[in-house]
Amino acid sequence: MSSLSTPYVEDRRGGLPRTLVWLGLAAAIGVVLFTVLGRFNSEYAYLAAYGVLQYVVLATGWNILGGYAGYVNFGAAGFYALGVYGSVFLYKLFPDLPVPVMVLVAAGVGALFGLGMGYLTLRLRGVFFSIGTLALSVILHTVIVNWEFVGGARGAYIIRPEDAPFFSSYAAYLCALMFVLAVIAVAIARTVQHSWLGRGLAAIRDDETAAECSGVASLKLKLAATSLSGAVLAMAGAPFPFFITYVDPATAFSLTVAVNTIAMPVIGGMATWIGPVVGAVLIGSLQQLATVTISSSANLLIVGLLLVVFTSIAPFGIMGLLSRRRTVR
Amino acid sequence: MISRRKLLATTAAATTLAAMGGTVALAQDGPIRIGMGMAMSGGLAAGGKAALLAYQIWAEEVNARGGLLGRQVELVTYDDQSNPSTVPGIYSKLIDVDGVDIVISGYATVPTAAAMPVIMQKRKLFLSLFALAANDQFNYDRYFQLQPNGPNAKVEFSKGYFELAMALPEKPKTVALVGADAEFSILALEGARENAEMHGLEIVYDQTYPPNTIDFASIVRTIKAAAPDLLYIGSYPPDSAGMIRAVHEAGFKAQMVGGGMIGLQFAGLKTQLGEMLNNVTYYDLYVPEPTMQFPGIDAFLVRYRERAAAAGVDPLGIYIPPFAYAEMQILERAVTEVGSLDDGALADFIRKTTFDTVVGQIAFGERGEWAAPRILTCQFQGIEGSGVEQFGEAGRQVILHPPEYKSGEHRHPFPASA
Repeated sequence: MSSLSTPYVEDRRGGLPRTLVWLGLAAAIGVVLFTVLGRFNSEYAYLAAYGVLQYVVLATGWNILGGYAGYVNFGAAGFYALGVYGSVFLYKLFPDLPVPVMVLVAAGVGALFGLGMGYLTLRLRGVFFSIGTLALSVILHTVIVNWEFVGGARGAYIIRPEDAPFFSSYAAYLCALMFVLAVIAVAIARTVQHSWLGRGLAAIRDDETAAECSGVASLKLKLAATSLSGAVLAMAGAPFPFFITYVDPATAFSLTVAVNTIAMPVIGGMATWIGPVVGAVLIGSLQQLATVTISSSANLLIVGLLLVVFTSIAPFGIMGLLSRRRTVR
Repeated sequence: MISRRKLLATTAAATTLAAMGGTVALAQDGPIRIGMGMAMSGGLAAGGKAALLAYQIWAEEVNARGGLLGRQVELVTYDDQSNPSTVPGIYSKLIDVDGVDIVISGYATVPTAAAMPVIMQKRKLFLSLFALAANDQFNYDRYFQLQPNGPNAKVEFSKGYFELAMALPEKPKTVALVGADAEFSILALEGARENAEMHGLEIVYDQTYPPNTIDFASIVRTIKAAAPDLLYIGSYPPDSAGMIRAVHEAGFKAQMVGGGMIGLQFAGLKTQLGEMLNNVTYYDLYVPEPTMQFPGIDAFLVRYRERAAAAGVDPLGIYIPPFAYAEMQILERAVTEVGSLDDGALADFIRKTTFDTVVGQIAFGERGEWAAPRILTCQFQGIEGSGVEQFGEAGRQVILHPPEYKSGEHRHPFPASA
């Protein structure tokens, strides 16, 4: 491991002060974002921003395994639904439980499920692993459809409070919560990327056999990655029942979530933490805009076209393009 | 750096606010704007587009008559892509940014439920199209739903079926219940279970299948082995077609076959299944029988059918569009008689009034559902070939229940040739 860390030493410079800088930057972005959203004097701004931020969390969470380790997880919607139904389950038991607590529980359950999925599937590689994750998502879907307590196939209603303390509306509260989750997700992704874990995963992505020969404990690292990725993906789904107030399996296991979660890191760039953020902000905003302007199924078409364009001309995504230009200069 | 960002943000926000203010001010003098998120793409698009055509026909008519309260009517629509996640944002934009005067629901239960928190927070009147028990949990007093389910929807969908069954000369003893693992069919099956138990029928088969099932042969063979007197199916369009085909292919025989089957109301499935539909007993909401000749329905259907092909929607238009048109008739009368667009006053008026519409008289009761349910139990009779025109004629979808709308005699057993 020590030999692997050498080329990356510069990434760790600064230590704690650098972390504080990042936290300060996140806080500044939060202040600017909420100042702008507040000026719109409309819930719409918060609801639209919630949608984009949710995809920042999802794309970032997916990228920890899919981008850093190169293990393409087709079951992202399954993890997301796990978070959604985790909240529904807790709501049925304790209707007054605060949403952040539900998020924490969802993260725990997501991590455990990720770990379990890892044990079951990580001995598979490439397309076999991807199909395995898809199968687990289908199994989870079947379980939810037949689980009456969380609404089963009929779905479940969640009656949310009309407002939230310290916020102008419940939508503003949910948006703020999702912003915090996005910051946490990005912090996790960035920390992983610059740690021994990230370097090990990068080695696995480049050549798993060579990495193992060099002493990388591949299964252990991959399990850590599936757990972290699972936790972040499930975390993104936890506030959703309070956003939509009626959840059925078709909505929670939506194809749109599955497609976007993979497409955004691919378009933004999968090698670094910033790629999924750029992809999610770009595609998420474009989709929000398309919903209220051209207002047609062009939404998924946009993602499809961008995927085709980026995989053919920029296989390393937007960040890949930018860093290549920097290198050329 | 931050102050520059703030400056930019302030400028952007101020510009947007100015634009919004302009829109709202314009809305008060200009047309009455009716906003909705509607499924124009995705799985619910067939229903959404047909409903939208009915709204457009009404808007053109009312504008030709001089508009509402002396103002023209304009529809503001966004495609919800059959994706409920888009719905809260769409309704928030319609109300806050576009400043529409009235909001109505999209098509089907899930998008309607997803819009409820925004609507309730703004205390808007909410007319809803074909949402199943969507207000049961919210209990919002300004919500009114057009599908004639009544306050206890699940029992209503199979009430007629079982009452007809118990009136058969050879009284049935056993029933098989089968349906998809999805919202409507689960509800329909729960109601069927209650009705079956109430009539003392023994349930010899009671299973659901995953919503994307395509092969129904094994399901039907298992049911056939249980030899039930009645087969009640709760299904969505693709599986309605699959079940009817499988029942014929397996040579299944029973005193009655049918139930809460969505899809048999649409021209596409009617023509696809053709003669296989004979003697199938199913639910419907409006059929062109002599007992359902309400003022204006024929004229509406003529106008709808003239434009259906160009709009790419159901050519018959007897399931959703008449109810969408009736929804607008209710709104028109409420706005005209109240004389304002005040949501509370309009809701009060709608709650207290009985409306004459193209689908008959409508009065709203508990939770904004029809005060008296009117789910029709119909039977396909005399279907020949697969021509679509026959389904627009009387005598092909005969009403058997409720008795006040009865238009023909119950034919049994199933299949028709047996």
